[in-house]
Amino acid sequence: MDRFYVLLMGFLSVVLVNNFVFTKFLGTCPYLGVSGRIDSAFGMGLAVTFVTALSGTLTWLVDYYILTQLGLEMTRYICYIVIIAGAVQLVEMYVRKFFPSLYDAFGIFLPLISTNCVILGVCLFINIWGIDNLLEVVVLSTGTGIGFAVAICIMAGIREELIMADVPAGFQGAPITLIAAGILTLAFMGFAGMIK
Amino acid sequence: MAMAQSNELQTGVYKRALLAGLWEQNPTFRLLIGMCPPLAVTTAVKPALTMGLSVIFVLVCSNFVTSLMRNLLKPHLRIIMFTLNIATFVTICDLYLRAYLPRMSEILGAYVPLIIVNCIIIFRCEACASKCGLIVSVLDAIGMGLGFTIALCILATIRELLATGCIFDLRVMPRGFVPWLAMQMPVGAFVTLGLLLGLASVLTRKKRS
Amino acid sequence: MLKIKYFIQQSWLLIVSSFCFGLLIAASNAALSPRIELNMANKLNQLIVVLLPAAKEFIPSDVDIEVQTGTGKKEKVKIYKALSDTEQCVGWSFKAAGEGFSGKIELVVAVDKDFEKIAGFDVLTSSETPGFGDQIKMSYFRSQFAGAPAEELAVVKTGEPTKIDSEIVAITGATVSSEAVVNILNSFISSINKQMKERGLLGDGTK
Repeated sequence: MDRFYVLLMGFLSVVLVNNFVFTKFLGTCPYLGVSGRIDSAFGMGLAVTFVTALSGTLTWLVDYYILTQLGLEMTRYICYIVIIAGAVQLVEMYVRKFFPSLYDAFGIFLPLISTNCVILGVCLFINIWGIDNLLEVVVLSTGTGIGFAVAICIMAGIREELIMADVPAGFQGAPITLIAAGILTLAFMGFAGMIK
Repeated sequence: MAMAQSNELQTGVYKRALLAGLWEQNPTFRLLIGMCPPLAVTTAVKPALTMGLSVIFVLVCSNFVTSLMRNLLKPHLRIIMFTLNIATFVTICDLYLRAYLPRMSEILGAYVPLIIVNCIIIFRCEACASKCGLIVSVLDAIGMGLGFTIALCILATIRELLATGCIFDLRVMPRGFVPWLAMQMPVGAFVTLGLLLGLASVLTRKKRS
Repeated sequence: MLKIKYFIQQSWLLIVSSFCFGLLIAASNAALSPRIELNMANKLNQLIVVLLPAAKEFIPSDVDIEVQTGTGKKEKVKIYKALSDTEQCVGWSFKAAGEGFSGKIELVVAVDKDFEKIAGFDVLTSSETPGFGDQIKMSYFRSQFAGAPAEELAVVKTGEPTKIDSEIVAITGATVSSEAVVNILNSFISSINKQMKERGLLGDGTK
């Protein structure tokens, strides 16, 4: 029960308190590009969640059981990026075969995802945080992806409203999105200290 | 006569490649790629400068190597080739920073390896280095890198000045200045970048009309 | 055979360049890693020397000390013995960590040679709110701990910060962060103190 509580807190922390988009500034490129409409944002968020969960776990396994045992830490970044590229391919093949409707929903975003900072960011931060058990890794990586999905969906909702608003010509698009994101960050800061 | 003309053409091409990244195709203000570092490392000018120089190093090296290999690349394997290329140079850069600039390496933290997925570098490898000659690729890399560094430094200067009143530990603002702490927090990053982008966009429109 | 030939034809560049890149990385690593290790060792030492000015050398003690952290996990702590230039023990230092207001706080703590007084601490990493919790790094907060007794410290909201005793005045608007630091110190110091007494490390420090 205690263990479950720790995992739940970890999950909430990564989704709300330490949201990777708002506190670590990762995933800003797709965030600006894809948050125009809620359905595409949701598709992107879902795709990212799949890939982060898979690659977070795989990279941790490789790091824990292979790289540290053999003292090959210097090749860490290359291994991570290769695993991530491979994971993206895997997810794409799997989804195309078994969930074709889902593939239509987020198929075009999958190749974009391999250069998404969030994925590599998750793997790196899990390494930095020194997590040492598999279950925590899975929960945290899935949580990060969900955090990204939450952030991007909120932003999509806001942007759909912003289209009606009277934004000055020079500020339409990325500038006003960033300012809105800044205000969102302030809101999310309210979650700080929620978890002891 | 023909030689002189072609030389002039060459210099023109070189100059264009170098200068494009500085304003017209500035990665942060115009192309809107590689937006993660401008938000993350611009709390002070020193880390921003370090990040900018690291990106220039990685850009130049990877453009160089990609350009060397450009005729041998198989189309469906090229992205992974670029990525391996970039990852190698980022690893070398990270090792160097940890050895000679440990304080900066600590402040930048995980953002140094995140240069690997910085859109600018892959974009330039794809759009330029895999198609152009060696010199053009390297010049383009320098131009883009410089443009990126300048953008980072502008953002960092504003944020550091308003957040602490100092730049490089030199007090610039008058004594009575109350620091804008919000500038150190994510809010400051997003809002400042948004305002700067808006400014850049307004300037561009004015120029066009 | 044909399949292998096709495979090689498509990916020879990948294989060759991976090999070259690997060599490049290995070479840089070999050239730079001694320096990196030196930096890591120096970093901690530099911070401790500020807290224990008489210290000239630091020897990690090879005894396993475990501390139960706030999350219930038992963590191994490395204790460093600080020696003066006459090889006398002038104090002990260790890294302590725990949960703060908005993230993990890592401290480096120094205590005197009999584990009776805290020499001080410095903040290694923290992500507290700037202007509030972040002030735990400031000298006006940290100086309250210099010379404080190495026993259960208590946080108070108002009091005399310049008086050195087991009462620590919290930072205005940053009670949680101040309490976090005190809790970390309390749990680590009491636990390490107990284990070191058990293993006979205190006293004249012949180990």
